[in-house]
Amino acid sequence: MGVLKNASVVLITLAALCAAPLWADTPPATDTPNFTAILNAVDGNGDFAKQDYSAVLTIVTQKPNEKDTLLQVKLFRRDLHDQMVWIMQKPEAQKGQGFLKVDENIWMYDPESGKFSHSTMKEQIQDSKAKSSDLKRTSYVNDYDIATTAEGMLGKYPVWVITLKAKNDEVSYQSVRLSIRKDKPLVLKEEDFSVSARLMRTVIFPPTYIEIAGKSVPSQTLITDELNKGEKSAMTISDVSVATLPDSTFSKAFLNQSSK
Amino acid sequence: MARTSEGSTAAIAVMALKNLNRQKKRSILLGGAIAFGVLIIMVIDGFAGAFMQNVSENVADIAAGHIFVSGSVQSDSGKTFSVIRDDSILTQVIKDTRIPSLFISKRSVARGTIIFESKQAQISVQGVDFSSEHYLTSRLIISQGSFAAMSNPQGLILSEQTARKLNVQVGDRLILQLTTVTGQQNVGDMTLVATTPDTGFVSDLSAYANLSYVNELLNLEAGEYQTLGIYLPSLSGMDRYADALYAELKTKANVKERTKTSAVGGFGMGGFFGDTASVGTWTGVRYSVTTLDDMLSSVKQIVGVLNSVSFGILVVLFVIIMVGILNTFRMTMFERIREIGTMRAIGMQRGQVRNLFLLEALFLAIAGMLVGIALAALVMGILSLFNLGVDSPLFMILRKGHFSFKVPLGRGLMNVFIIAILTLCAAYLPARSAARLEPAQALRTTK
Repeated sequence: MGVLKNASVVLITLAALCAAPLWADTPPATDTPNFTAILNAVDGNGDFAKQDYSAVLTIVTQKPNEKDTLLQVKLFRRDLHDQMVWIMQKPEAQKGQGFLKVDENIWMYDPESGKFSHSTMKEQIQDSKAKSSDLKRTSYVNDYDIATTAEGMLGKYPVWVITLKAKNDEVSYQSVRLSIRKDKPLVLKEEDFSVSARLMRTVIFPPTYIEIAGKSVPSQTLITDELNKGEKSAMTISDVSVATLPDSTFSKAFLNQSSK
Repeated sequence: MARTSEGSTAAIAVMALKNLNRQKKRSILLGGAIAFGVLIIMVIDGFAGAFMQNVSENVADIAAGHIFVSGSVQSDSGKTFSVIRDDSILTQVIKDTRIPSLFISKRSVARGTIIFESKQAQISVQGVDFSSEHYLTSRLIISQGSFAAMSNPQGLILSEQTARKLNVQVGDRLILQLTTVTGQQNVGDMTLVATTPDTGFVSDLSAYANLSYVNELLNLEAGEYQTLGIYLPSLSGMDRYADALYAELKTKANVKERTKTSAVGGFGMGGFFGDTASVGTWTGVRYSVTTLDDMLSSVKQIVGVLNSVSFGILVVLFVIIMVGILNTFRMTMFERIREIGTMRAIGMQRGQVRNLFLLEALFLAIAGMLVGIALAALVMGILSLFNLGVDSPLFMILRKGHFSFKVPLGRGLMNVFIIAILTLCAAYLPARSAARLEPAQALRTTK
C-alpha cells in the first residue's frame, strides 16, 4: 500500500522537523558561554506544544542510480495532545493519501479504496527504517550530556561545536555533534554517530529562516546519509502557520474530506 | 449350504476374471484410467506428506534447533528487548528434563541493512559461536572462502544470492547498519570471508557472523545471547519435550505462557531469535519456549491446502473415471444380454448376476490401484533420484537437494477405499439393470 510505503519516509522527515533546532530567545553573550543554556534554548525553540502548527513540506530524495523522488505533504500538528495529520499532495499518483496520528495510534487513508488502515507507532517503527527518536521530539538537554565543546567556523559563521553523549542507551544516536552559531543559538549542522562512533548522517540547516511566533524555522534542511553514499534528502518548508486549527482537523473525516 | 454359497461366489469370481480377460483391451483402458488417477493422487499425497517434514528439517538446520528458548528483559523505561543473561537455570532445566539433544545452540541475531558501496540489502545476521557449533560447520556448505577465516572477529558469511545482490567478493569489507537491543543506531564493519549456495527464499537468513561481534553490535555483553536452540535427533517428540521444558522452567523462572500458536505470525523466520512479543511488565528475564511446529503454522496450512487439492483431484478424476466405467459396463451389459439370459435360464440368481458385474468392477479397481501404486512408486523413485542441489529455489521443500515423498499410511488406505467404493458405485447401476433382466426377454433380445 502506497500510504504505508511512504509513511516512514514522511515520518522520518517530519521527525527532522520536530528535531529542527529553531531559535527564539538569544541567551546573553559572554566569554564563557553556558552551553547547557544554549542547548535549552535550542530545545525550547523547537517546542510547539503551546500552539498548533501547520506547514507544507517538500522532500526531494536522491539515491544513486535512481530517479529523484519528490514528496509534498501538508502537515498539521497539535503537540499538546500528541496529534498529527498529514495529507499527500505530490506525487500526483499518491495525492490524497493521508495519515492521522493520535497518541500511539495511527490511521492511514487510501483515497482510491476510501479505506483506513489502523496501525500503531510501534508497528510502524518495526516495519520501516525510522528510528525511535525520529518519532518524538529530541531534547538535547534531557537526552544528552555535553562531552566536549570547541570553537570553529562553518562557512562564514563562527560556531560552537558541541559534542553530546547519550545519557541512556535508548536514544537513537549515542553521540551527536552540533555546530551552533555563536551569535544566536541556531544549529547549522548536526552530525549523528552510532554506538560504534561512526558518523551515520549529517543534517545541514542552511541559514534561511521563516520567522513565526517569535521562532526561526529553518526553511530548508539537507540530510546526508553517510553510510549509503550518494543518498540525501532536501526538505523545504513553506506556508508555515501557528494559527489555531479546528478540532476536526485531527479526525478521520478530515482526511476523507481533504482527499476529495 | 454355506459351502455351496462360497463355491458359487468363487465360481462367480473366476467368471468375473475370465470376463475381464475376455475383453482385454477394454479392461486395460479402464484399469489404466484408474491406475493413472491413483498415480497422480499418490504422487501429490507423497509430496504433501514429505513437505512438512522436509521444511521442518531444513528450518531446524538453519535455525539450529527444534525447540527454542528466548529471553526478554524490560528496561527501566519499559522497553522490551531480547537477551538471555545468565543461563545457569536454563541449562539445569534442560539437563533435568533429559531432552535428547544432538546439540544446543546459543545465538544472537542482528537484523539490519548490509551495505557495500552504493548497494544494500536487508539481512538477518546470526551470531554463532563457531568454536562450539560444530554441527553448523559440518552441515553448512561453503561455495567460496572457508570457515577457517571466521577466526577474523568481523568475518561474515553470506549467501551467494545476497553477495550477488551487493556485488561483493570474498575479502571485501561491508558495513552492517542495525539497531542495538535498546534501539540505538549502530554500525559494524565486516569482512566477507565465505559464501554459501543459495537456499531459495531463506537466502537472506543464511548470514553468519561471530557471536561475540554480533553481541558487541547489539550492545550485549560477552557471554550473553538471545536464543537457545535445542536440536533433537528427530522431529518426533518435539512438542512433548517442549511441554516438559516449559513446565520445569516455569517452576524455576518467569516464563511466558506457551500458546502453541505461531508467535511470529506464521513463517516469520525472524522470530526464531529474539522474540520480544510481550504483554505486561516484569523484572529480570522472562523466557518463552517455542518449537518449530509453533512457528511453521503457515507451512501446515500449505500442507492442508495440498491435501485438499489432492482430495479435489481425486474426486474430479474419479467422477470422470466413474462415468467411463458406468458407460462401459452399460455397454458390456447390452453386449452380454443373451449370455445373461442364458445364465439366468440355467438357474443363476439375480444377486449372482449383479455380483458378477460388481466383482468385475472390483477386480478392475484392484488391478488399476496396484498398477497405479507401482507406477507412483516408480515415478516418485525416479523423481527422488534427481539432485537439484542445495542452491535450488526449492531447497526448503527438498531433502538434501532431492525430492522426497512420504505417503501417510492412513491417507493411502483411505484413497484405496474411496477408489474401490467409487468404482463399485459406478458399476452398480449397470449391474442392477443386468440383474433385473428377465431370462426370456434377455434371450429374445437381438443385438
